[in-house]
Amino acid sequence: MMSINIVAYKCKKCGRVHFPFHDRCLACKSREFEEIAPKGNAKLLTYTTIFNLPWGFDQRFLIIGIAEFENGVKAMGQVDAQSVEGLKLGMKVRPNWASVRQQHGEDIYGLKFEPIE
Amino acid sequence: MPLDMELEAVLRPPALEMKPYPPKVITLANGKKMVVREAKREEVPTLLEAVHPTLFIPRDFYDIVGARLYAELLAWYRYRVRNEYCLVGQIDGYLVGIVNGRMVDEKVGMSYHTLAIDRGLRIGAHLFAAKMEHHIEYLGQSEVLIVAESPIGFRRWMIEYGLEPTEIQHELGGPDSYRLTREMYFDSKPRLVVGDRPAPRDLLDYALENVFVADEETINVKIAGLKGR
Amino acid sequence: MRDVAIIGVGMIPFGRRDEDSLMDLLAYASLKALDDAGLGDKSVNAVYVGNMGGGIIQHQTAIASSLVDRLSLLPAAAETVENGPASGGSAVKNGLLAVASGYYDYVLVVGGEKMREVTGWKATDFVSTMTHPEVEYPYGVTLPGMAGMFTRLYMEKYGVTREHLTAVAIKNQDMGALNPYAHVEMSISREGILDSPHSVVNNPPVADPLHLYDACPVSDGAAAVILCPLEIAKKTGKPPVLIAGFGQATDTHTLQERDDPTDLKAVSLAAKQAFEMAKLKPADIHVAELHDAFTILEIAESEHVGFFKKGEGAIAALAGKTKLGGQIPINVSGGLKARGHPVGATGVAQVVEITFQLRHELPKNRQVKGAENGLTVNFGGFGNNVLAFVLRRVQQ
Repeated sequence: MMSINIVAYKCKKCGRVHFPFHDRCLACKSREFEEIAPKGNAKLLTYTTIFNLPWGFDQRFLIIGIAEFENGVKAMGQVDAQSVEGLKLGMKVRPNWASVRQQHGEDIYGLKFEPIE
Repeated sequence: MPLDMELEAVLRPPALEMKPYPPKVITLANGKKMVVREAKREEVPTLLEAVHPTLFIPRDFYDIVGARLYAELLAWYRYRVRNEYCLVGQIDGYLVGIVNGRMVDEKVGMSYHTLAIDRGLRIGAHLFAAKMEHHIEYLGQSEVLIVAESPIGFRRWMIEYGLEPTEIQHELGGPDSYRLTREMYFDSKPRLVVGDRPAPRDLLDYALENVFVADEETINVKIAGLKGR
Repeated sequence: MRDVAIIGVGMIPFGRRDEDSLMDLLAYASLKALDDAGLGDKSVNAVYVGNMGGGIIQHQTAIASSLVDRLSLLPAAAETVENGPASGGSAVKNGLLAVASGYYDYVLVVGGEKMREVTGWKATDFVSTMTHPEVEYPYGVTLPGMAGMFTRLYMEKYGVTREHLTAVAIKNQDMGALNPYAHVEMSISREGILDSPHSVVNNPPVADPLHLYDACPVSDGAAAVILCPLEIAKKTGKPPVLIAGFGQATDTHTLQERDDPTDLKAVSLAAKQAFEMAKLKPADIHVAELHDAFTILEIAESEHVGFFKKGEGAIAALAGKTKLGGQIPINVSGGLKARGHPVGATGVAQVVEITFQLRHELPKNRQVKGAENGLTVNFGGFGNNVLAFVLRRVQQ
């Protein structure tokens, strides 16, 4: 399985976790960050099924969500499910690194959350 | 001119027996009731009147769809196409949409056109669904072959129903057909096919007795006007 | 700082304007505003054009330079203001500050967008370009998608239901049906979009729990205002409308980095600043144009600007408190939901509508009787850049 290719940024001064990158800490303005990797499984914070997809997607719908990893990194990703029926706010999901779309015939990789409850 | 019935018999194709489409009533977003029913062959001249203004509307490929539908309905009326059927949608008697297709044989259906004369109420979506319902549930076919002539149609039919591409030439002469199978139909039925049956008698009688065609300007504005969605 | 008033407004009907180019739309609205201000063949000192998509959709840039030339406003200063769906509001703000500073006396602000030039999915992609290019956009997220995720949390936290959202949709489409400028001139029924089993086709989900009739249409359109110092405005024929307050605030680009994603901080802050500058309270407002790109946003904004407590906006909407004749009429124009949302035009169109209201020149079925103070909220990104204006009718 491919590893999660994400770098998050923990403020060296106040500890706030950022993803994506900011030049100054959103809390204390410090410019020093420790690069951290998202850890463990994640908790699904919110989600939706998008039916009117933009140019570049040919499927009927796509489920998108935001999840929080065990070390506080929060990120958006696609949710690997056939419908939102089985999804719940706060449920546990396993992060995978997989193709999320194609551009110019090439796979673009990103986060895919797989429900595990 | 005495009609040469012998020659006419050669030109006029024999037809398969086709089970009727039971009428239904759909409540639209604005609360209005749309009667969906099978048109009779004798009604074709009235239907042509409703289709005619669309021949001159290039927006969203209405002209292509309109011109071809016009010819298909005329062919049905004059017995030059076999096993054709036509379903219409009516609100307060007014024709708001026309869809048609035909049986290629017992098993295979050929979807022709979907024309919404009123827009913004998902009339096209409702009538296309009724057409698939007719092929699969009432004509008892195992598959329907479909192509789209407009980007809107492509997005709606191919993606909404998850149709599968084939290498079968569609009768309209354009690209290869997409296929709707019985299985796909019943999978999408809960979210795409609605309507109350039996259609309330009063609504149905009114629709049968009063087939109105909006005037040309109204049709133009509804399809190609500023407020067109 | 000088007091700044609106002396002229102009708007063209929103919808699908296949015959007109983006420049046509901007020019038509501008001419109407110039005429309304009584400037006729006179010029202005500066022009601010609110537009988001010219570069992407029309493949055209430097739109303001082109517009002043077309309108024979040379050598007026001119620039295009791009700030996502808040481009219109930002253009008004730039005009306001330019006149308030004393640098310019007459300013034309015009917002416009032509979105129907491309297919729906290309328009959706265009709007999605305001999401984060690395951690949001690649996933296929759209603005309705952002709103769907927000709605799910708002429903969970405050008990908002589809019934509440439907009440907003019905109200705004009913009002749009009375507004000749509105894109959607059709009333809808609760039966057709919620109660009937047929509603699954009429009103399918677009980004659950949001459905088709919770979302604004994709529109073409333009709106314009002419600003000048209040002292000059007082000498004109029409009741001057003072821009009494203004506020603008930003929030994190991504939804995921907000401590409480249901808290639209930029809306609260922008409104607070606008009220403080105007020395008014939410209760002093008689009519409001809120940015209802989605029904949930009208409810959430009505709470964040202070008309209702958190969690009570939905109840108020269902109870009819936000209708014409209610406690605080919201989106009497039909809002973005029915008037349409040509992104760059919206912020200006909201100010135009409130000006109509405060001049008391609308027909009875649209006029908030005796309205003196109005509020607009123009919501950019998904709440990451928000502008608010408080407008006040001034006695001549």
